[in-house]
Amino acid sequence: MGDSKERYQSRTEILQGTLDMLILQTLLWGPRHGYALSKAIRTNSGEILKVDTGSLYPALHRLERKSWISAAWKSSDVGPRLRVYTLTRKGHKQLTTERSRWERMTSAIAGIMNPAKQSSES
Amino acid sequence: MRFAFWRRKSRNRELDEEIRAHLSLAERAEQQSGRSPQDVGSAARREFGNVAEVEELTRRAWGFAWLHDLTHDLRYAFRMLRKNPGFTAVAVATLALGIGVNTTLFTAFDAVALKPLPVKNPRSVMRLTRWFESGAEGDIQNGFSYPEYLNYLDRQHSFSALVAVSWPTAATAVIPAQTLAQGILSAPSGAPGEPERWLGQLVSANYFSELGIAPLLGRMFLPDEDAQQGGHPVIVLSYPCWSRRFQSDPQIVGKQIELNGISYTVIGVAPQEFIGTANPPVIPDFWAPLSMQPQLVTAENWINEPLNRRVQILGRLAPGVSRKTAQAETQVLGLAFCAGYRETDKTTAFTLVVATYFGQSNDFQFRVFVAALMLVVGMILLTACANLANMLLARATVRMREIAVRRALGATRSRLVRQLLTESVLIALLGGAAGFLVSLWTSRALWVSIGVIVRSLFAMDPNAVQMTPDIRVMLYTLLIALFTGIVFGLSPALRSSRADVSSALKDGGSAFALGVRQSRFRTALIATQAGVSVLFLVASGILLRGLVRSQVADPGFETKSVYGFGLQFVNDPKAANSLAHRVVDQIRSLPGVESVGIARSFPLTGTWTPRIIIEQTNANPSNLPQQCLANYASRGLFPTLGIRIVAGRNFDGAEDRVGGNVAIVSESAARTFWPGESPLGKLIKLDLNFRNDWHEFQVVGIAADVRSANLTRLDPGFIYVPTDESKLYTYALLLRSQRDSTRTSAAVRTVLEEAKHQQLPGFRLVSLEESVVRVQRLMPQVFAWITACLAFLALVLAAIGIYGVASYAMTQRTREIGIRIALGASPSDVMGLLLRDGLRPVLIGGACGMMASIGVASLLRASLAIPGTLDISFGAGVLDPLTFAVFGSFLLIVALAACLIPARRAMRVDPIVALRYE
Repeated sequence: MGDSKERYQSRTEILQGTLDMLILQTLLWGPRHGYALSKAIRTNSGEILKVDTGSLYPALHRLERKSWISAAWKSSDVGPRLRVYTLTRKGHKQLTTERSRWERMTSAIAGIMNPAKQSSES
Repeated sequence: MRFAFWRRKSRNRELDEEIRAHLSLAERAEQQSGRSPQDVGSAARREFGNVAEVEELTRRAWGFAWLHDLTHDLRYAFRMLRKNPGFTAVAVATLALGIGVNTTLFTAFDAVALKPLPVKNPRSVMRLTRWFESGAEGDIQNGFSYPEYLNYLDRQHSFSALVAVSWPTAATAVIPAQTLAQGILSAPSGAPGEPERWLGQLVSANYFSELGIAPLLGRMFLPDEDAQQGGHPVIVLSYPCWSRRFQSDPQIVGKQIELNGISYTVIGVAPQEFIGTANPPVIPDFWAPLSMQPQLVTAENWINEPLNRRVQILGRLAPGVSRKTAQAETQVLGLAFCAGYRETDKTTAFTLVVATYFGQSNDFQFRVFVAALMLVVGMILLTACANLANMLLARATVRMREIAVRRALGATRSRLVRQLLTESVLIALLGGAAGFLVSLWTSRALWVSIGVIVRSLFAMDPNAVQMTPDIRVMLYTLLIALFTGIVFGLSPALRSSRADVSSALKDGGSAFALGVRQSRFRTALIATQAGVSVLFLVASGILLRGLVRSQVADPGFETKSVYGFGLQFVNDPKAANSLAHRVVDQIRSLPGVESVGIARSFPLTGTWTPRIIIEQTNANPSNLPQQCLANYASRGLFPTLGIRIVAGRNFDGAEDRVGGNVAIVSESAARTFWPGESPLGKLIKLDLNFRNDWHEFQVVGIAADVRSANLTRLDPGFIYVPTDESKLYTYALLLRSQRDSTRTSAAVRTVLEEAKHQQLPGFRLVSLEESVVRVQRLMPQVFAWITACLAFLALVLAAIGIYGVASYAMTQRTREIGIRIALGASPSDVMGLLLRDGLRPVLIGGACGMMASIGVASLLRASLAIPGTLDISFGAGVLDPLTFAVFGSFLLIVALAACLIPARRAMRVDPIVALRYE
């Protein structure tokens, strides 16, 4: 029990503005439905990142509206059909730009957080 | 569009399915992790979060969320309103009254000042206006001479067309028997060939074609029909004339009508919606080409006189030319033309205004007047809105639990405010729609009631003004409805959505959850209503007292046996003067005529207040007026009107003929100008034209005080100067006759027809009592009743508000009252408590209203220092404490009654029931 509580606390809210990128990146491995996406993000982040459903579904529908992902219905064995999202060509491009922006950002933040390391490199 | 709005329903179903799938998958995962089957459902849901909220947020990502919310809110609001029909009815009716009054005023304002002329592309039609050195304003600013029009026609480049149209002019019409369709009487009297009096306008030949008026029957004027003088005896009939006089005879075109002795051919009939372009508005009987001026206006040749301004000019802006550019050109051309002549009052500027019926709508006084009226009806709306806000607040408290539940279920505050606002706006829109319907009726009623006054004050035909609402009126109503819905719904919505969820749910929205702030807001609303009511009550009290006095107010001069008519001859003062005196002499010799006098203007119709300098006086200079009421008068005027000369002498024969530097002053003038001295022999200077045209006059007589400027009060100083042969060319003739007026009328008509070389059909002598005095007595009636209606409306609205709040407070305080009674409070204690609380805001507001009334009344009293202003109380004194007390106490009585009913109900509260309540 204590373990689960600790795990819950160490889960971090997803950084503002990065959810779209995480979804696109996750869909790069293949089409997924909403539940699988949230599971994948949680697992791949080592149980650190938890996607709130109140953010996930609006984000999915928003991305769909921007045609970065497309949706299709698949039947399932649980009862209701599953809405499966696929990365589109446009989404691919978007992912590339977001990724490079993310990398620029992390290196910039790293530069501020570890100035010694950077000066030793130069 | 994939997310098109109309796919909403299926999208909602799909979203629902998507989330159900999520939950099913989550449940299965929980099952696999070994949770007991009965727990998996709730665990999955806990993990998922608030389903409704997630759905709501997701829907937002679709776009069109606001539209969806709106339809949802509207549907909900409709349901709420239907569920509370009493609440809805009172709220909508209240607003309907408030908005209806405002729309009524706006309809009238729109009809006279905003509605464009009934022509094609009215926005591009400009009326040329001139400005005088003397600052004179009014109709004369629209006057141009025909040569001036031709000058513009030849030289201007800013207008695609210029049309000229004369002021309505009277003509004698004789309809030959063969012109009339069978069965129609040839004249109203029935006698065949009997002359009738018709009103016509002379227009340039392009008048109808350039304004885009197509004929209903026949044709309009041809381009060359105003070219050759006297060459084209053709007329176009107006719709009212055609339908009334010829009973809409479809065969009228081509028939003959005799006007001033010349036969004219009817070439067409104007459509019904074309009611002319006259300013002030009058519908003529016919239109004729300007080339017929010498024939239609006999004995005059103004068409060739460059300073005789008898036409109005309308211009249609050429494509791509701005009003500014056109105005600059008009100014240059106009001033160049005027420079060639010696004007009596120099023209200093020309401007262009979009042609409306009431050309002076940009006049400062008119604007102030309209703004004041808007303020008055705005206050009524305010009291109505205070009721709306109060009712919404009360209902919000009742709904507190509902709102708390919605917040707990995940509704955001902005979402709730929006929904509450939708409800108040919906109520306001319903109120606006009802108010619009109310105004359809009231605006007509208003116009009927002020019609006579409009006719006499502004010389306009009340029928020519169309009170039908147009798009502007609808837009105005819509805007004030939206405005009231948002402004007065916002505060209650913000307040109720702020409610603390847990406390609201816990004690079920009881009285103790209500903050003090809310009651303070209520107090302010009630106080506003009380203040406005008091203001209206006192105003109507003053006007009603004036009304009573007005019906018996004695003008001080004879009105029943004195008849008056205007004398207008030629544009040359000297010739006009000798003609006028000849007519006076002839009329004096008629049997039955006792005396005849002439003046510049009739008593009780408008005032002339020249600037004055009083010399040789030991009065305190601050008591001396800068301006003074005055009139030109012949020696016969005093005996005719029965105004006594109390000292000195009347004008003598020579002064009467050619004028002179003598003056007769009224008793009150003598008292104020030369206190304690005899005014006889003293000198005064008058600026006769408002442009430093100072003339000196010696006082030779003192006349008795009368009410000749207006019936409301004795003239505060009046100066009579002799009719000057070099100054006047229009006269008012007054005659006194004890005989039956029809016989005198016939004799006077013969004299006038001979002097003017023109027939005057329909001429009839009207006594001053029947004309000007009647209007003067009617005005206080109309204004008093309109104000009384408004006061009644304000009072009813305030009563509804006070009653509503008092009975609401009673229900809220039932438990408190129960405790008080249980602890031994007597019913009268409880009654006193409730009355005190209910009446406090009324008293505060009433006191403010009283102060405002005193302020307004003081302003009115101060305005009496200006000569010629009205005294609405007819001398009773506007600051009369009795009026204030009596009419102010109306509010107290009504407020007391409104509080008493719920308070009595509260007194009967059974403490046991009250404590168990909730």
